[in-house]
Amino acid sequence: MRIDHHPILKTFEKGKLVKFLYDGKVMEGYEGEPIAVALRANGVMIHRYTSKHNDPRGVFCAIGRCTDCVMVVDGEPNIRTCITPLQEDMKIETQYGISNNKEDESI
Amino acid sequence: MKRYELIIIGAGPAGLSAAIEAASNGMQVIVFDENERPGGQLFKQIHKFFGSKEHKAKERGFRIGEKLLKEAEDLGVEVQLKAAVMGIFDDKEISVMLDGRVEHYRANNIVIATGASEKMLPFPGWTLPGVIGAGAAQTMMNLHGLKPGARVLMVGSGNVGLVVGYQLLQAGCKLEAVIDAAPRVGGYGVHAAKLARTGVPFYMSHTIKEADGDSCVKGAAILAVDSSWQPIPGSEKYLEVDTICMAVGLSPMSQLARTAHCEMENNPLKGGLVSICNKYGETSTPGVYAVGDVAGIEEASSAMIQGKIAGAAISFDKGYISEAEFTTRYEEYQNSLMQLREGMFGHKDKDSADTEHTEEGYTLSQSLLSKGYMEAEEIGEYPGIYPAEYRSKGVFPVIECSQNIPCNPCQDACKRGCIKVSGKITNLPSVDTSVECTACGMCVVSCPGQAIFLVDETLAPGYASVAIPYEFYPLPEPGSKGLALDRSGTSLGEAEVLKVQSSKAMDETAVLTMKVPVEWSMQARFFQVY
Repeated sequence: MRIDHHPILKTFEKGKLVKFLYDGKVMEGYEGEPIAVALRANGVMIHRYTSKHNDPRGVFCAIGRCTDCVMVVDGEPNIRTCITPLQEDMKIETQYGISNNKEDESI
Repeated sequence: MKRYELIIIGAGPAGLSAAIEAASNGMQVIVFDENERPGGQLFKQIHKFFGSKEHKAKERGFRIGEKLLKEAEDLGVEVQLKAAVMGIFDDKEISVMLDGRVEHYRANNIVIATGASEKMLPFPGWTLPGVIGAGAAQTMMNLHGLKPGARVLMVGSGNVGLVVGYQLLQAGCKLEAVIDAAPRVGGYGVHAAKLARTGVPFYMSHTIKEADGDSCVKGAAILAVDSSWQPIPGSEKYLEVDTICMAVGLSPMSQLARTAHCEMENNPLKGGLVSICNKYGETSTPGVYAVGDVAGIEEASSAMIQGKIAGAAISFDKGYISEAEFTTRYEEYQNSLMQLREGMFGHKDKDSADTEHTEEGYTLSQSLLSKGYMEAEEIGEYPGIYPAEYRSKGVFPVIECSQNIPCNPCQDACKRGCIKVSGKITNLPSVDTSVECTACGMCVVSCPGQAIFLVDETLAPGYASVAIPYEFYPLPEPGSKGLALDRSGTSLGEAEVLKVQSSKAMDETAVLTMKVPVEWSMQARFFQVY
């Protein structure tokens, strides 16, 4: 998924390679790149499930406008992963409604 | 409350240009932008821009962005990032969300340059992961070096869809098709031709029926529509794609203008709800200006000029430049803007545009409009096509430019003066057969539409050379073999790479010269690596 050599841009400036947790699994991404980019590079497409219909959602606008890509980041829900920079050891979780718990009935 | 002489909202091409103009006249300027990086969408634009020299034509968008930022910085313009302006109140006061706090600023003048957002098209499955905006694709691949997907369907054939489609190919994705509900390609024919000759099919009068998949996109069902936009039964096709990219138009982000009580109008020609502005970009609220896409959807090149006009008008109003100086500058900028608005894609009612003929009376290629490429038999008539009777004397340029687009870098590129765009900037370029071509390749790389080729039918008995612009990785080695494709992307047969030229002046567009049988000299327009 990553572009190794771009005909016009050549290479992309990236931060250091860091580990992060996605739903408990260890993954790698580059520090400072949007969380959504690191996830997509790891093949993660589903960021959250909607509260009413449990529909999967992922990246849509990638510029922080549509809020479709929000996830639970370090315990905080509704974080726009397309504009939030990845940091080492970040804990990123799929969001269900506004919770990180699939069974949460309160939402 | 902090005070500035001029507040600009949005650090894209329009906002930065307004800031540069005003600051260069001595004004104290601050620019707010909600994003982490300035430049608006310019840094995602990796293609060469159209226009003329003063419009920064043949420069790539991100390089224009770098220059604007440098200029603004050198002039002491303050750029406040991660600052979302929430409203414009009476007496030109604004509230800004900064670091979780709300701050208030006031200025004598405000320029709204907030740009546009992407329009969307709802259809069954459109919320599935894998359905993205064309802007999202650009953000992923051109800013972050990530392919949005492996196999992509582009919905929309305007310039955004065509340009992003080409960028997807450059990133290494497969573009399965470009579809559009309209019967004709909406963007520049040359942009479509760049895709078509690599083999990308165009389905005009087609819409998307649904995105297929349970957890993310696995495919897309498309179907044909008739002239009244109704689905044609039995026309459904299934495309195996993992990404559906939407490029169905932009809409001005004019909410702030409403908060400033600007008089608004819903103008379909401008892309939606916009503030009503005078010729300097000033809204009905005195001292509040709107420039760039927020004032009506156009190109970044026009946005930059609109920014300069507003910057100059404000500078004059506040006494920073004389009336004479302002008049001179305004006329220069206005002429430049009007040039960009000329032609069949200009800022006017597109439905009234002649789809049969160019302004000079040449027949427009209907195949280019319906399939994305010109048929070989349509080529002959245009003034950029070297006449057959002169072709035996050696290498000659072939300019496959057939629509009235505001663009003329080709005439500056040829130092020998072989290429002329006479009269209006939108006129088709013509070739002068009395000038000998040295095959330097500068015209090939300077054409933002990649529509110029160099052909030599005297290469060897039975063989011709065809030089094409080439912007893919890796660059083929001289001596390597591959397929020569025609304008539709259909393979003609084997071709051999003779040479690959690239230099700093060519700005990452290589000139690839291939050897082909002479009968393909006016057909072979792309080289596909085996």
